[in-house]
Amino acid sequence: MSFVVIKNVSKVYQPDGIDSAVRVLADINLAVQEGEFISLMGPSGSGKSTLLTIMGAMNRPSEGSVMVDGVDVYELPEERRADFRREYLGFVFQQHHLMPYLNTLENVMLPLVTSKTSAKEKRSRAMAVLQRVGLANKATRLPNQLSGGEQGRLAIARALVNEPPLILADEPTGTLDSNTGSEIMEVFQQLNAQGQTIFMVTHNPENALVAHRIVNIRDGRMFNESEKEQ
Amino acid sequence: MRIRSIAWANLKRRKGKAAFLIVGISIGIATVVALLTLSRLIKDEIGTQLDQFGANIIVVPQSNSLSLDYGGISVSGVSLDVNQLKDEDARRVLDIPYRNRISVVAPKILGVSNVEGQPVLLAGVNFDAELKLKRWWRLVGQKPAQDGDLLVGYDAAKRLSLIEETADGQSQAVPVMPMAEITSGGGVHANHIQEKAFRIARDRVQIGGNEFRVAGVITPTGGSEDQIIFGSLPRFQKLLGKPDQLSMIEVSALCIGCPVEEIVKQISTQLPNAKVSALQQSVRARAETVNRLTRFASAVSAVVLLIGGLMVFTTMMGSVVERTKEIGVLRAIGLRKRQIINELMIEVAAISTIGGLVGWTAGMLISWLILPYFSQSGLKLEIDPKIAIGAILVAVLIGAVSSVYPAIRASRLDPSEAVRYV
Repeated sequence: MSFVVIKNVSKVYQPDGIDSAVRVLADINLAVQEGEFISLMGPSGSGKSTLLTIMGAMNRPSEGSVMVDGVDVYELPEERRADFRREYLGFVFQQHHLMPYLNTLENVMLPLVTSKTSAKEKRSRAMAVLQRVGLANKATRLPNQLSGGEQGRLAIARALVNEPPLILADEPTGTLDSNTGSEIMEVFQQLNAQGQTIFMVTHNPENALVAHRIVNIRDGRMFNESEKEQ
Repeated sequence: MRIRSIAWANLKRRKGKAAFLIVGISIGIATVVALLTLSRLIKDEIGTQLDQFGANIIVVPQSNSLSLDYGGISVSGVSLDVNQLKDEDARRVLDIPYRNRISVVAPKILGVSNVEGQPVLLAGVNFDAELKLKRWWRLVGQKPAQDGDLLVGYDAAKRLSLIEETADGQSQAVPVMPMAEITSGGGVHANHIQEKAFRIARDRVQIGGNEFRVAGVITPTGGSEDQIIFGSLPRFQKLLGKPDQLSMIEVSALCIGCPVEEIVKQISTQLPNAKVSALQQSVRARAETVNRLTRFASAVSAVVLLIGGLMVFTTMMGSVVERTKEIGVLRAIGLRKRQIINELMIEVAAISTIGGLVGWTAGMLISWLILPYFSQSGLKLEIDPKIAIGAILVAVLIGAVSSVYPAIRASRLDPSEAVRYV
């Protein structure tokens, strides 16, 4: 059974001040297996990020359903959906969206704030994740004291700290130079090699090639799904 | 790391905004604390001063007999009483549970006697108590010092030819109490009618075959005391043939903020054979005076707090807009709405607590600095922990109420939109 099943998902927006509705996604069907690394490619405005937020239990589709680990995400009440995001999903945003007033360690611990585990346990889990992404020696630095690549790795560390089954990454190298971008993609590859399921939105064909499977989207419709040979 | 750690880190990051809110709340609380502290102190002072002006409770014997008028009040019969009041009844008034509220107990014997061929109302009094009660009196002459000394009302003195007008302008009248003990400025003089200058022409008078010394003459008051001769209580009791008896007891209770009805009830219980009544008009007038002051302070406080609340509201709304992305990220990584509200409320509670504490301190300091300009009787500022706690609670309440809407709005931010927000 697939870990994520997206079935007949459509999304229609009604922009303010405009009479006609805008269809962003139309009849999307997609299945993601456990341990799979999928790249979602498409030009700007094709609906990539919208599909990612729908998978991320943050954006209710106009039609269709999203099942993650057998749970129909949008059948859950809103607050339970927040719990679901915390337990099942790790987000890596294009802008990283780090908290500038928290240091590296505290940024990683952020998804654990509501956890009932002890402060010591939280700290040790966060340090372990920082170790995995090579930032253990910069635990007390503020985000603006880190390089672009380090900020990207920090964003990945924050997404991993809850040990979520699925990582959703929205153009994680979008704001980075090619060398730093490669550094981040290496981290994703290592994580996937350890069994982490990753769904990544990108419009960089080189980065997309790192995934097992590339899904193309244009004008809100999926087309030309390609699978790499393992 | 907990929600409060995020709140604390945020406060440290936005020191300027936090300081602005603290200053705003402090100003509001300081104003309220200063207003309420001063108004309370001044209220007490006014209350004390008003209470010193005359009696507000009258004790008379239970009687159906003829009444005489004294001090604008109807006094039960002076000669046909069924249940006479006794000297010890005046002492028993001070045995009531509210005795610490009683400032003066002035017992009296009243009676009409023929003085040098003319009927005159005599009042036997305890001069110490009487003069404490009638602080507006001014005397030409001296206060009574001996048992046979009298104070004579102006009209009575004139009828008995005890005084003569002087041509040199002013009487050498003195108030019965030092001015500072009574009120500020010329409050005492204002109670007196325009007087003609006079002096004591004859200081001896025969009453009932006994000779008395006229120690002083009360300048005209416009009241019934102008017609009365005041002498010592035991002498007049003997003179009127009523040893140990009293016609009435005037009581002055410090009744600002105390239940005069309750004092009346307690005296009635203590003196079952007496009729005890409160001079409602006097009590109400005093209460009204101080209530106006309280209402004014409360109204200004409410306006100041409303402005403070609006300031917190607009600052928090601005803060929520500024932090849209951050709040969106917190929602995206799994914080519940309630937890977002908690985070913002912890920030506001911390700011408000500090604002309340700083405001209370500033308010007390302001009160201490300006109190001398408001009070002539050297009121002392006392630190009341209840006001300090109240100030902090009000600050937190204002902060919380003003932040509820911004916090709810923050919690409702669409995380998918917020994380796109750059």
